[in-house]
Amino acid sequence: MQSIYIGLLLGLRQIQRANWWTTVLIIFVMMLTFLNLVAVSGVLVGLIEGAVRAVKEQSLGDIVITPLADEDRILDTDRILNELDTVPDIAGYTARYKAAALLEANYRERRDLRGERDTATVNITGIDPERENAVTHLASTITEGEYLDEEEQGYILIGKYYIDRYSEQFGDIFDSLSGVHPGDTVRLTANGVSKEFIVKGVVDSKVDEVSLNTYIPEKEFRRIFGRLDYGADQIVIALAPDASPNAVRDTLVRMGQRDLAKVETFEEAQPKFITDIKKTFDVLGTFIGSIGIVVGSITIFIIIFINALSRRRQIGILKAIGIEQKAIELAYVVQAAFYSFTGSLLGMALTFFVLVPYFDTHPINFPFSDGILLVEPLGATIRFAVLFVITLFAGFIPAWLIARQNTLNAILGR
Amino acid sequence: MKDPIIIAKNIHRIFGKEGGVVTHVLKGIDLEIREDEFVAIMGKSGAGKSTLLYQLSLLDVPSEGTLSIAGTDVLSLTESEKTSFRLHNLGFIFQDYALIPDLTARENVMLPLLMSNHTWEDSKNAADDALGKVGLGHRLNNHPNALSGGEQQRVSIARAVAGKPEILFADEPTANLDTISGRQVIDLLGELHKTGQTIVMVTHEEEYTRDCDRIIRMEDGKIVA
Repeated sequence: MQSIYIGLLLGLRQIQRANWWTTVLIIFVMMLTFLNLVAVSGVLVGLIEGAVRAVKEQSLGDIVITPLADEDRILDTDRILNELDTVPDIAGYTARYKAAALLEANYRERRDLRGERDTATVNITGIDPERENAVTHLASTITEGEYLDEEEQGYILIGKYYIDRYSEQFGDIFDSLSGVHPGDTVRLTANGVSKEFIVKGVVDSKVDEVSLNTYIPEKEFRRIFGRLDYGADQIVIALAPDASPNAVRDTLVRMGQRDLAKVETFEEAQPKFITDIKKTFDVLGTFIGSIGIVVGSITIFIIIFINALSRRRQIGILKAIGIEQKAIELAYVVQAAFYSFTGSLLGMALTFFVLVPYFDTHPINFPFSDGILLVEPLGATIRFAVLFVITLFAGFIPAWLIARQNTLNAILGR
Repeated sequence: MKDPIIIAKNIHRIFGKEGGVVTHVLKGIDLEIREDEFVAIMGKSGAGKSTLLYQLSLLDVPSEGTLSIAGTDVLSLTESEKTSFRLHNLGFIFQDYALIPDLTARENVMLPLLMSNHTWEDSKNAADDALGKVGLGHRLNNHPNALSGGEQQRVSIARAVAGKPEILFADEPTANLDTISGRQVIDLLGELHKTGQTIVMVTHEEEYTRDCDRIIRMEDGKIVA
């Protein structure tokens, strides 16, 4: 007990009397070590999480209704939509009608009739522009031109990947049209029916399902594709902020909607590989971050070793006057603990009060997602504890190496 | 006459290993020091006086011989037991004061007291008392770097005697001090001796031995007088 007391006293006094700038520098290094440990995996997982969130917000919503496995369309869509209006936790929904079509541009200017036509096979989605925007904020993804108007006809939104100036960086992956701008006329052909549309806007989203799509009002969609049964291909539901997706899904199931369609929360609907990738990136981030732990531990080891070595004579004197070796060792462990704890605590504060909020509002602009910094409090606390314990050892070992030396040799500097 | 508190027999100290350079510093020292005695060990540089002090004070281990302090066969103790023995039975004054620079004068004196299970308050009172006796009652909260050499050595004396050790070892305590400060330190040791403190002091200055009961003179690793 007395050894603990003495160890704490010696350790605290050494910290108090240490050079202020050196102390700040060591704490700064420990803070960076902690950030490296937390932020690397946080960014890697956040990169995927950012993409997942974007898919949720711009494409699939909180709950998604799709056709049953053996059906082409959602059965009794009208009934389902009417029932959705009665569930208070539902903030909005949008029904989508999907098909494939051939889109052609620059056909009026084409002089060489034997030459290649400027066409692209596209996904086409019929939407209620107002409802779609209320759920997925599709209007906010318009990068050129304007969003569809509820009352207008003959207008189309084209996803950026179908326009060559956006897709050329991806080589020949996407089937695209050249030189299409808002105001240009394109021709949509499906089921032998062709109709001209004026390009009203270009959709630019990092969610492929959104950017690799074209949008027209659902009324026109039904006319072109002969879809008079009103059977939707997908219904996407956005919930009120505090609503539970599982609870709402259960409500819809109790209404009997599972007999008409597949009702899933976003979590259920997202592919398993997404969660697998998240786990993989987490492991990868921890692995990379653990290199930071090694660096941090070596830093602490060197600091304590130099500190103990430069105080070797003092250590000898302490032993000479009867201070136990474990008290002396504890003094250095206290210093390592102080540097590690303070640095990690600052790192924790910086992470949760500065970095996470900052990257939430200013995501990192990755090519396929707006990356956020995803740090779970429990995970950060575990990393905090791991770093702390490891630095205690890193502080103890050099102190032990020096303190175990012969007392007289230490005093005389031999 | 009181009983011997230190009994050293046939103490040898040899440095170096067979096959290399071997230095035989102490050559069969036989020595008894009685309780309450103030003994000065003198000799020329290289005579082995400091080495003998280190053997007697358990800071070093003789290559050969037996050593009993206060009835304990101290050479049979483990390192940890020796540390504890030093804490409870021996006090040290080093040539260069050997204070802990991060601690105040009071904390330097308190340190061994705290280690030997005194409470903070008791240690503080004892430290203040000891520092008062060496004339440093007004320098309790000063760190060593704010004290003169003489003051630091007096703190060192206060630290050595605060725990009331049975034997006080002093290794050339005046070597780094000016004449006045050196005299003050010797006077302090003389006063301690008058209270019954056993003191073993290494010095090469004859003038500082006038309070001593006995002078042991060494030459070439042997006691010659």
